[in-house]
Amino acid sequence: MIFSSIFFLYVFLPITLLLYFLTPRQGKNFILLIVSLIFYAWGEPVYIVLMLFSILFNYLTGIEIEAYHEEWEEEKAKFCFWFAVAVNLGLLGFFKYYGFFLENLNAILPFQIPYKELPLPIGISFYTFQTLSYVIDVYLEKVEAQKNPISFGLYVAMFPQLIAGPIVQYSDIEKQLKKRKVSLLKFGEGTTWFLRGLGKKVLLANNIGMAFDAIAAIPADERSVVCAWIGCLAYTMQIYYDFSGYSDMAIGLGKMFGFEFLKNFDYPYTSKSITEFWRRWHISLGSWFREYVYIPLGGNRVSTLKCIRNIFVVWILTGFWHGAAWNFIVWGLYYGVLLLIEKYILKNFLEKLSGFLKHFYTMFLVMIGWVFFFSGSLGEAWSYLGTMFGKSAAPFFDATARYYLKSNLWILLAAIVCATPVAYRWFRSFAFSKGKHKVGISVLLYGAVLLLSTAYLVNATYNPFLYFRF
Amino acid sequence: MIKIMRGLKYICVVALVFFIGKMLYGEASSKALIDTVEEAVVSSMDVSGMEKANNRMVKRLYGLNANDYEGVCLYISSFNMNVEEILIVKLKDKSQGKTVEAAAENRRSTQLTNFDGYGVEQCKLLNDSILDVRGNYVLFVVSADAKQAEKAFLKSL
Repeated sequence: MIFSSIFFLYVFLPITLLLYFLTPRQGKNFILLIVSLIFYAWGEPVYIVLMLFSILFNYLTGIEIEAYHEEWEEEKAKFCFWFAVAVNLGLLGFFKYYGFFLENLNAILPFQIPYKELPLPIGISFYTFQTLSYVIDVYLEKVEAQKNPISFGLYVAMFPQLIAGPIVQYSDIEKQLKKRKVSLLKFGEGTTWFLRGLGKKVLLANNIGMAFDAIAAIPADERSVVCAWIGCLAYTMQIYYDFSGYSDMAIGLGKMFGFEFLKNFDYPYTSKSITEFWRRWHISLGSWFREYVYIPLGGNRVSTLKCIRNIFVVWILTGFWHGAAWNFIVWGLYYGVLLLIEKYILKNFLEKLSGFLKHFYTMFLVMIGWVFFFSGSLGEAWSYLGTMFGKSAAPFFDATARYYLKSNLWILLAAIVCATPVAYRWFRSFAFSKGKHKVGISVLLYGAVLLLSTAYLVNATYNPFLYFRF
Repeated sequence: MIKIMRGLKYICVVALVFFIGKMLYGEASSKALIDTVEEAVVSSMDVSGMEKANNRMVKRLYGLNANDYEGVCLYISSFNMNVEEILIVKLKDKSQGKTVEAAAENRRSTQLTNFDGYGVEQCKLLNDSILDVRGNYVLFVVSADAKQAEKAFLKSL
């Protein structure tokens, strides 16, 4: 089940809200847990077993580690901790990377190892990182072990952020699991977050996505240079609105139930360096890697050589986290190299550039990066990049490019404007400033987003969600 | 208390291993349509010198009654001097696997006898041929692209 579906919007969510608000405070976590498990089982009836395993295993591990700490049995606590890390990573590794590993092994072996490729359990990358954050924090005694299995189950399985994040670190939500404020104001705020996310996903991402898919389907030797760039720009916008829209919906749903999740995107396309871009894009994933990989490795408080190693480790892992394919690893490495270049070579030079040039430099490199991301393989990525830089036999500009430019110009322009704070700032100052009819107009505008999104969802067959596969 | 919890934790891990094992080997029957498997296999290799054969040919070359199975698909070489072949069988019952396997083995040894002594390339292809029984599906492929075909076959199930 995805948030941007008629069933979710008009059946699942209203029933859930009704049940949640009718249940007394003590039972709210339980209701939310049950609903979350149903939400997950709806799309993954078999893999719900993995989810239940993950909840029970990590719940027991947390309590066990804490008990060892209390008894000063540090060796046992250490063993218990590493065992849990191995099991969690093993689970993720097996379901996400086993096919990739055997495929590559078969490519170099003189014989074939037969294997059955298993479908990827939805959200496994997200919830495994959450359980790991919990186990690590309990081991490091940053947080207390959660004694209530329902609260812990809810932390792992909570449906708003279960499938595509934001990755919630246990320390950020520990108190809210026990006590949180549910108010009409917060509910209203959550609704606006949700509707903005819905609009981003349905009205912008889905429409731009159709243009990208059409361009990507053109045979490589028939795709002109301009056409390839339009395709790349379309994907650049699609992935931002798709993922940030979903994150906004998750944050909005969280608020409706009284939770506060940290924001996952902060206008990443306004960045003036790659370093800044990664402070604004998928913030929860960046924080996770910084907290649990980069800093434990020594971060930047080590020798230059070790710092370079740490950055590479983090970025190879970031690439690999996104998908079991070489193009994702290259994508991660690409960013590792860029960040190192910015840190050690370009830092002073970039500071001297004008804002526009810095912005152009960032977006140019980000768009190149997305080619590795959307391509099915490394070969496809090189071929697409070749077309973008005029290496193929295709012309610079052709009728197809003109058609896609003409038919998508307005939506691409709207997407570019909405990717900056300008549009939202204008909307806020208009809708929330004091005035006679402003509240009414604000409600009307959000209502229009819901109505348009619903109309689109009723008619459209195209409603993918890119981050599902991660 | 802690001992009980630790015990429970290990039980969870053992249960997970069983679950994964069942997913990998237990549920061996594939729901994939034979047309889908056929398309995946055929598109993974060069079949320009082959043509699709009818059920009579299946009976003649393999001694199998196509109607006894959920689906049978056979591609044979267009030229008598070539040995390229693809046989895909979707079984009605897993117990039929042995019969189909034996039929494919028989076909391979017959062809080896036919080409022994003069068809060096043909014999090499027959010796390198792949016979794979996966749950309710059987693949027998004689081709230079046999490995790719097997890979596509496994992926499509």
